[in-house]
Amino acid sequence: MSWPDGWILIPLLPLLAALWIGVGMLTGGRVGEAGERGTARIALFAVGGSLLALLLLDLMALIQGPPGHRIYFPWLVSGEFRVTVSLLLDRPGLFMATLSAAGCLVTLRFSVEYLHREAGFHRFFAILSLFAGGMLTIALAGNLVITFIGWELAGLASYLLISYMRDRATAAENATRAFVTNRFGDAGLLLAMAMAVMWGAGLEWPELFLASHQHLSPPVPIVAFGLVIAALAKSAQLPFSAWIARALEGPTPSSAVFYGALMAHAGIFLVIRAEPLLWHAPVLMALLLLLGMLTAVFASAIGRVQTDVKSALIYATLAQLGLMFAACGAGYFDLALWHLVAHASWRLYQFLLSPSYLHLGEGAVRPVPEWLGQSHDLYNLALHRGWLDTLTDALITRPTMALARDARMFEELVINRMAGRPLRETLLAARAEWNDFSTVVEGSGIGVAGGRGMFGRVLERAALVLSWIEEQFVLKSSGDGLVKVLAFLGSYLTRAEQSLGETRYLILMIVLTFLIIL
Amino acid sequence: MKPLLTLLLLPVVGAGVILLLPAARARIVALLAASATLAMTLWLSAGFVSTHGELQLLEKTLWRPQSGSHFALGVDGLAMPMLLLAALLSLVAILASGGIRERIKPYHILLLLLEAAMIGVFMAQDWTIFYIFWELTLLPLFFLINTFGGKQRNRAALNFVLYTMGGSVFMLIALLLAFDASHVHSFLMQEMAAGLRGLSTEHQILIFAGFLIGFGVKMPIFPLHGWLPLAHVEAPSPVSILLSGALLKMGSYGLIRAAIMLPDAVLALQGLLATLAFINLIHGGVLAWKQIDLKGMIAYSSVSHMGVVLLGIATLNHDGITGAMLQMVSHGLTAGAMFLIIGLLYERTHTRDIRAYGSLIRVAPRMAFFVALAFMASVGVPGTSGFIAELHVMLAGLQRWGWPAALVSVGMLVSAAYAVRTVGCLCTGPEQPKLPVITPMGRLELAAAGILAAGIVLLGFLPAPLLNLMEASLNRFGDLFAARL
Repeated sequence: MSWPDGWILIPLLPLLAALWIGVGMLTGGRVGEAGERGTARIALFAVGGSLLALLLLDLMALIQGPPGHRIYFPWLVSGEFRVTVSLLLDRPGLFMATLSAAGCLVTLRFSVEYLHREAGFHRFFAILSLFAGGMLTIALAGNLVITFIGWELAGLASYLLISYMRDRATAAENATRAFVTNRFGDAGLLLAMAMAVMWGAGLEWPELFLASHQHLSPPVPIVAFGLVIAALAKSAQLPFSAWIARALEGPTPSSAVFYGALMAHAGIFLVIRAEPLLWHAPVLMALLLLLGMLTAVFASAIGRVQTDVKSALIYATLAQLGLMFAACGAGYFDLALWHLVAHASWRLYQFLLSPSYLHLGEGAVRPVPEWLGQSHDLYNLALHRGWLDTLTDALITRPTMALARDARMFEELVINRMAGRPLRETLLAARAEWNDFSTVVEGSGIGVAGGRGMFGRVLERAALVLSWIEEQFVLKSSGDGLVKVLAFLGSYLTRAEQSLGETRYLILMIVLTFLIIL
Repeated sequence: MKPLLTLLLLPVVGAGVILLLPAARARIVALLAASATLAMTLWLSAGFVSTHGELQLLEKTLWRPQSGSHFALGVDGLAMPMLLLAALLSLVAILASGGIRERIKPYHILLLLLEAAMIGVFMAQDWTIFYIFWELTLLPLFFLINTFGGKQRNRAALNFVLYTMGGSVFMLIALLLAFDASHVHSFLMQEMAAGLRGLSTEHQILIFAGFLIGFGVKMPIFPLHGWLPLAHVEAPSPVSILLSGALLKMGSYGLIRAAIMLPDAVLALQGLLATLAFINLIHGGVLAWKQIDLKGMIAYSSVSHMGVVLLGIATLNHDGITGAMLQMVSHGLTAGAMFLIIGLLYERTHTRDIRAYGSLIRVAPRMAFFVALAFMASVGVPGTSGFIAELHVMLAGLQRWGWPAALVSVGMLVSAAYAVRTVGCLCTGPEQPKLPVITPMGRLELAAAGILAAGIVLLGFLPAPLLNLMEASLNRFGDLFAARL
């Protein structure tokens, strides 16, 4: 234990900053322009602190080698099942964490001016800090559960940021779309966790790696498959590509930084992290290679026909990510890691610069390359972004909605009748009903215990019976009954006492006493 | 230096100091004494070794050689959480007593004496002094209810004392029978338990029945709960916090101690205990649903929740007793929080009628928050202490009885019904024009509510420290019965 153990603060600092700003907003302390400096300072200090700690850690890692896996404390223990709070501070983790912290810090600093006097300034900084915490958690997580927590934090932050302009309908819809697509990835992670637990390998990354080396049982590819699904969804590879274009809805360019430079890379990071598992799943490697190449071609074609700078950049990013996946699929994980860092840094710079491109750009926009312009079908495909949105609509959204309609019919016709809820609840109806309810209550004297629906009526009957029992047997006869019996006995004894005082009984007592003695 | 004796004397010394000083200082001295007690309890728990289930910090002196009574204090994994709970709730009760304006001196003296007696019960390792401390809690409570209570305070106080004394008589008889049967000539809990090991099951049942009635009144177990609604409603709110939060736990704590002493009897009566627990759960829940008086509702909900504790004990396995202990702590915190907030509301509005309230979320957002949190915890929403407790009891029930244990979920459904109804009536709906303006919570009141809320959420997310504290002792309990099943 030669390493000081404060490293857990690295992902924790930005989360605490988010909490601090959030609580400040809730209690009304952080509003308006006056608070902007304070808010920005908290976020900058937290992320800056994490970055400094990471740089220190990097330096130490360079000299002595990375500290590796460390368990802080058990969080949930139940028999064999054990979840700990742990970090895995190894080479890929430190790469990714340093990159994330630096990226977030730069973005935060950039946003101080960019969002000046915006209505949601404080909200934005809270979300960005949350995102930084999430990314650092993903990068440094020592087990699958912690990875999942980071994964969700980053997902939540992205949802909140896409819907940053919450009064715009498209923003809200796009945020929901992006969020729902990301749930596929979560399903993958959950699958991986469940398999790892059932398989008995434990949830810690090193345990998983070790177990995969020791016995090549079938669960290894399944765990790896879950992780790959999660990675593909997060990095918007085919067939999950559609969400990322919708994610650009947030404030330019800071949100784009999320997707372009950091969050989209979380997927490829997960693949690099799971390298030892993937070596045992050659089919998955081939799949990665294929999907990566496909995405690269597909995205670069689409990118070339885009006319706004953010879309062009995001598809360029996708193409590069595709190349990284392909590299992983071919077994060059180290190359993918270097590619990741270099690409993320460059893309970050581009995204931050994107609002100024109109001024910076010289001359006309380059025309679509010849090979794309010549082929009618290819051009059409690119222009419609591969009809992925349409495809998702037809295959997933519409069937789901139809199913939901059926469920709703069932709800209204069967469940609501049993539960006693009004058929169509509107705010007005609820209010009118409330008024009726309170007048009924005032009049009836039954009180608040009026039930609706099947359960309510059963409860009402039960309450009547039980309260009668309670009144008759428990409260009256035993509680007050005890007092009554005592009072009765008391009066009886008082009378006996009084009688004893009278002369004739006194004499009788004396005579009796003598008789007994004699 | 005897740490446990010091702990016991801290509140008593505080009460003595209050007696000497003018009334204006009473509150601050009481706060200091209660804080010191809590700090000392925390310090003791930090030094508590949780790896073995033996008694720790044992202080034993022979007291009456004729009867084999010892003045023995000690703590183990069962007593430590209860000590923490009692010290914490005492501090909360004193923090919440800002509304008491008259006779401040006797009020605070009585509260501190009550705290000392409670701590004594949880630390006692000899049945004689256990019984003495048990009875000693009655005196301050009687005066607190009788002097500072509501309209029917005299009736409530008399009722409470008579009921509990009635139960104590059975407990005393059981103790004397046990002493007679054990042939060790000692009232020490451990020695007596060892002496009773070889006793026939019939004989054990006879003794245990006495304990069951004695502790059942306090806990309370249906149908011995007649004193509870009245006492809880009529007592001043800070006393209700202690009554429901800590004093009911004396009953279940005593029952667990008796169960360790008479394992064969408990095993034979397992079905009865489970049935009683189930009746408690449903009966309390349904009646809580029917109450118009808010304090009455919390009182009946306590009956329901203590049913969960009894059920946990009745499973007689490790998970069940863990759940019972967790539920004792959790209910201490949630019932404390509920009585605290309702008491503060009552101070401001002078009504406890649920129909008089509405839209607290707009009128008094902080109170609305604490009310909602406390009720959610009492239902057992994940992320609160109640969830961890109910989950353990439920799992243990399924292990022991299989699917019939799922009936418990009916009780939880009922508790959800009244909790959601109450939160809905209090916090949402139209504003009530007749309701007086509710002044925001003061700093001390906020501190009291904050402590409880933090405890509820902390235990919900991180139960490990508490579980570690109890683990070794609970393992012993589990092994005791696992060997017999």
